[in-house]
Amino acid sequence: MLKDVPAELFQKVKDLTGIELTDNDKAYQDSVQIQLGILILQLFNIRQLKQRGFKPDAVAGHSLGIFAAGVASGSIDEDDAIKIVYLRSEKMQESYPTGYGMGAIVGLTRREVNTLVKKINEETQPVFTSNQNSELQTVISGSIVGINKVLDLAKSNGAQKAVLLKVPVPSHSPLMQSVADVLEKALADVLINDPNCIYLANYNGHAVRKSAGIKYDMINNLVHPVYWDTMMDVAKEMGIDTSLELQPGQTFTRLVKSKFSDFRTITMNNMNLDDIEFLLNKWKRG
Amino acid sequence: MAKRSWTQNRDAKTAKLASISSILDGKFVKTENAKELLESVINSGDRVVLEGDNQKQASFLSQTLASVDPEKVHDLHMIMSSVSRPEHLDIFETGIAKKLDFSFAGPQSTRISQMIADGTMQVGDIHTYLELYARLYVDLIPNVVLVAADKVDHDGNLYTGANTEETPVIVESAAFKDGIVIVQANEIVDKVPRVDIPGDWVDVVVPADEPYQLEPLFTRDPQNVTELQILMGMMAIRGIYEKHNVQTVNHGVGFNTAAIELLLPTYGEQLGLKGKIVPNWEVNPTPTLIPAIESGWVKTIHSFGGEVGMENYIAHRPDIFFVGKDGTMRSNRAFGQMAGQYALDMFVGSTLQIDQYGNSSTVTNGRLSGFGGAPNMGSNPTGRRHSTPAWQSLRPDDDPLGKGQKLVVQMVETFGSNKKPVFVDHLDAEEVQKEAKLANVPIMIYSEDTTHIVTEEGIAYLYKTDSMAERKAAIEAIAGVTPVGLRSDSKQLADLRARGIVALPEDLGVHRSEAKRSLLAAQNMDDLVKWSDGLYNPPAKFRSWS
Repeated sequence: MLKDVPAELFQKVKDLTGIELTDNDKAYQDSVQIQLGILILQLFNIRQLKQRGFKPDAVAGHSLGIFAAGVASGSIDEDDAIKIVYLRSEKMQESYPTGYGMGAIVGLTRREVNTLVKKINEETQPVFTSNQNSELQTVISGSIVGINKVLDLAKSNGAQKAVLLKVPVPSHSPLMQSVADVLEKALADVLINDPNCIYLANYNGHAVRKSAGIKYDMINNLVHPVYWDTMMDVAKEMGIDTSLELQPGQTFTRLVKSKFSDFRTITMNNMNLDDIEFLLNKWKRG
Repeated sequence: MAKRSWTQNRDAKTAKLASISSILDGKFVKTENAKELLESVINSGDRVVLEGDNQKQASFLSQTLASVDPEKVHDLHMIMSSVSRPEHLDIFETGIAKKLDFSFAGPQSTRISQMIADGTMQVGDIHTYLELYARLYVDLIPNVVLVAADKVDHDGNLYTGANTEETPVIVESAAFKDGIVIVQANEIVDKVPRVDIPGDWVDVVVPADEPYQLEPLFTRDPQNVTELQILMGMMAIRGIYEKHNVQTVNHGVGFNTAAIELLLPTYGEQLGLKGKIVPNWEVNPTPTLIPAIESGWVKTIHSFGGEVGMENYIAHRPDIFFVGKDGTMRSNRAFGQMAGQYALDMFVGSTLQIDQYGNSSTVTNGRLSGFGGAPNMGSNPTGRRHSTPAWQSLRPDDDPLGKGQKLVVQMVETFGSNKKPVFVDHLDAEEVQKEAKLANVPIMIYSEDTTHIVTEEGIAYLYKTDSMAERKAAIEAIAGVTPVGLRSDSKQLADLRARGIVALPEDLGVHRSEAKRSLLAAQNMDDLVKWSDGLYNPPAKFRSWS
């Protein structure tokens, strides 16, 4: 995954966190390794794009992705992003060693999922409606017991798909408050600038132009659902018609393409920089 | 007691215009002085109409307004028929504006919901078009109006051309009540092709940095019409247009109604209906009407606005369209909406949700799209008295003083494009009312005004029902396998069919197997160009062949 990333970024991570990143699948079982690995890959991508002179009109990160979005919009510097992501991933890992996670439901609206979650959620088996990835793709988060019960209900209520995700943490739910508390203290001393473009916030899907909204998102996005679907609606309403997805994957390109078929999309994962530059310039000319 | 002045508003306007004398040359202000102009003549708290029509956008003035210093100009009360552009809402985030009265916000429906929810914006009312225009003359009289023109001559006469749309109704509300009329112009000319707004009504003209925004919103490529839409179109033609002898019509701009336009010259012809139904239209000049015009079905069309690419075709068909001496169309949304209320036999529309009672709405969770014109077109003004066969055909037999009714038809497939049922027990709009704290549930067309619903299953003749229970049963009968539809049973359906309250395709003599794309008078954009004798010029994004 990180074969093109310069050694200097690996060294930076080591200097700032003491973590030695290992670029193989086994190491990526560890959530600190995978989160820092993805972050430096994205920081490298941002450098590559900057070098070619491209500036975004808007940035949108999904969960961990908000830190790369913060760097791309000039709100936070690379070093601070690495330090915060390190802390965030460590605290996430420590928070719920067993029995918690996330599930995905496809084919029901958020309102329908909410109704099912309400039936199951209680103190002994907490479960919450979480990320909205598209109109009919909703994530739930909480205890495995609660999640499984909601997934069963979803299947019997017409969901096309209802599966447990390979995520060991109940992210983007109120259960993550302790991590947010730690991040609040850590981010108190970090300089967050006003973004130099629109920043689409996870926690409420709004277009943010001030540092306060970004700081809130960086502290609290783990406690709130990621309103990705709303973020994309708002991006379109702000006049955005082109998306570029940083590495490693193409999940978000697929989501945007199925939502807005006329969007022009680029995934850095399967396109080289010269081609990207050619396309962006061509589209700019119209 | 001091003598009261009765010219305070006029004096204030004179003073405002005097304050910009240094940048004013006659009626003209230079492009680069536009920001100073707005900062000088707009007072904080003013009521300002910004021309955002369904199609035409005063985009230079909206961008300029968004750039003014919020310290100098703030807390404006904006009045806009259509909220379409990002900066229409940006001005609420920066504090330049505070309150909004509007009709339609489809292109900004997510952000407007967010701003209402978090208090960034206060909403006066969400209006239908006619309610908004009418209130410009009563209790929303503007202090300043910002509008767009194609061409302006040196006396300030405006040429607004095919997309005149709302400009007259907006300008008149200010020009005769001491409001200030500011116009952005695509071009300054010695002589305008025709005078759409007299220069007398105009205070300030600013040449725009680029032409106003105009989008081809109503062009539908025949290639994307589905066989289900063709089936529903055939049913509507037989079971409604023919049955009620409909002469005058407005219909929506979706693919359902595009299918009907393309079926008239083929299927309508086979039925021998040519010359018998729908000669007179109130509708935008949609390209899919070209075959029906060319084959002699359509006699006249008046339009709310223009449609990009249709200019030359319209110029060559002045017998059909409203065309000035200069050869370009004149549109007028206010008159078009009035015609919809008082002149037409029938409105045909589509929607996103219909509840078990027959109320419909396009407002869904998290999106406040507003109303636009459909609630005006899709309602039955109770003061009407028409002698037309269509109106009379809805008159009850058993009441000598009974009135007829305007036909209001909803055409929907039972499941939407998101695979969710269109027929629901309760509209999302009910929730949205609570979330956005609206005075009224944002229903688009009320059940009592809806006379027919067409689905791929059949037609429900709601006007024939005489109780809510029967109305619900009629809706269930055509609601397919939605939860609402599953409440219907075969015995109930047979009874409703026997009494003519519900008709299935076979009851109308419509064969499902005949609903083929080959039945469309035009299969694609190229066919439309051919029908038009090469006069129609599709916008680039609709040109797959070039």
